[in-house]
Amino acid sequence: MNTLTITWIALPLFIGFLIFLLPQLDRYLVLITLITSTIYGLEILIANLEFPLTLLDNFGVTLLVDQLSGYFILTNALVMLSVLIYCWQKEKHDFFYGQMIILHGSLNAIFVCADLMSLYVALEVSGIAAFLLMIYPRHDRAIWVGLRYLFVSNTAMLFYLVGAVLVYQSNHSFSFTGLNGASPEVIALIFMGLLSKGGIFVSGFWLPLTHSESETPVSALLSGIVVKASVFSLVRCALIVPELSPLVQLAGLATALFGIGFAMFANDTKRLLAFSTISQLGGILVSPAVGGFYALTHGLAKSGLFLITGSLPSRNFQELEKTAINTRLWVVLVIIITSVCGLPLLAGYEAKTLMLKTLLPWQGNIMTVVAVGTVICLAKFVFIPHNFTATPPIVKPNLSFALVFLVASLTLANMVYDQAYNLPDMTKAIAVAVIGWLIYYLIKPYLNRELPRQLEQLEHLIGFMTLVSILLFWAVLA
Amino acid sequence: MLEAFIFATILCGFFGIIWKKNLLMKIVGMDVMSTGVIAYYVLIASKSGFFTPITGVRENVDYADPVPQAVILTAIVIGFSIQALMLVGVIKLAKNNPTLETSEIEKNNTP
Repeated sequence: MNTLTITWIALPLFIGFLIFLLPQLDRYLVLITLITSTIYGLEILIANLEFPLTLLDNFGVTLLVDQLSGYFILTNALVMLSVLIYCWQKEKHDFFYGQMIILHGSLNAIFVCADLMSLYVALEVSGIAAFLLMIYPRHDRAIWVGLRYLFVSNTAMLFYLVGAVLVYQSNHSFSFTGLNGASPEVIALIFMGLLSKGGIFVSGFWLPLTHSESETPVSALLSGIVVKASVFSLVRCALIVPELSPLVQLAGLATALFGIGFAMFANDTKRLLAFSTISQLGGILVSPAVGGFYALTHGLAKSGLFLITGSLPSRNFQELEKTAINTRLWVVLVIIITSVCGLPLLAGYEAKTLMLKTLLPWQGNIMTVVAVGTVICLAKFVFIPHNFTATPPIVKPNLSFALVFLVASLTLANMVYDQAYNLPDMTKAIAVAVIGWLIYYLIKPYLNRELPRQLEQLEHLIGFMTLVSILLFWAVLA
Repeated sequence: MLEAFIFATILCGFFGIIWKKNLLMKIVGMDVMSTGVIAYYVLIASKSGFFTPITGVRENVDYADPVPQAVILTAIVIGFSIQALMLVGVIKLAKNNPTLETSEIEKNNTP
């Protein structure tokens, strides 16, 4: 299994370079690699594998493959597959597919690594690959959005590096276990890097613009999987070093509330989805033990939603209310939304139920409020008027295949925890949704005012990092 | 003492990113910051000694710790490639925003 793991990590990177030599085979090579990853991820989950891998003594690379990795690897492969299906006939240049598979490889590496230095390298590679995908259209706005992303992530990672060397100084090893009993400033530096990179809480202000201004398939990739990379690292830290768990959970709760608060007042479809991503990241962090499954269902659902918004006639909700959308598109939209809202149908329901079961009562109450909030935000999509004749859907040829693939995966994922389908839990989930829709109906007129975007300027984004590190420092000291 | 200088460098770079108006200067600020971080790795490596960790004729000398040095080499390469990519982006942006003022670019490119 060790050789297999190493081959599997190297394969996407190798294929990425091969694509530039054999551009005519690009999509097929990507397809084969992604299928390999899917099989690998499934194998870990089904056989319940868990093994560490230490290369070159304790100075070198430490890898850890476990259930958590399995879920994230599977999410990575499935989200990428759906985007590949979506882009199959869209005449993308081979450069796009090459970058996509390199991104896939670097994310895979993140999902198995267990030491600070390999994590740094993999995070930076994924950042660069994501940047190149973002600026693929090459107009000014895309370049600016990409530069902004690179600025934030690189500055955050520099702080992370300082934290990493301090861990090395006290342990003579970069592995995550060194965080055990580390001093507050070390934790503050490392977590600040990871939180900023992952778009958690106030350091996540960079995320909405980045995710909403990218092209449709790239948005789906960013929200579906790229942003989960550093969230994964936080979850893994919390699992390896239990004393960090309360801190991670606290960050999760704060993020969940923060994301929902902003998502409610978004007028733009993609912006709303981006803020909802922030709040769902909170859902992953809040329960590290079942975070993997939550990430899987969220990644699949959110990339599906982003792919659909790419085919809606407008991005503005007011305009959508006037023009109405095609019923076929609306039905799929609502099916996927039920998963995000946690209604009993797709795997999102199981993930949400499982997550609520692992929490302390007070945390559970906050997450229930967040669940109601999620329903309110996404109600903006549910109550868009729809009919069969209205505006012919600008359906891309492969959108339907990609969506069928995503919905099918979400349905199959229902196998993970089918005990969730019992009467009390189902009643609770449905009650949450009904309450959410009622509140939406009552406060709908107030939801149209857009919140100011001043805090999303580059200087503020960087400034927030200092704020977050001070907050973290306090939180660790407390 | 050296440590204080290094942290001053890192902070200088960081405040450069925040306070400089020009996009190019912000990138230079980031470079200064990463120089500081690299220096910090070198400093930590030299805590055990100053000799280059290469086997040679002398014996029983205090070698510098090779691990942080090896590791920071990767970070230098990554930092340099990010710098290069960002500068290419700036070249592209400079066509329509010759002053490269961040606030102007931001105004033109946000919805």
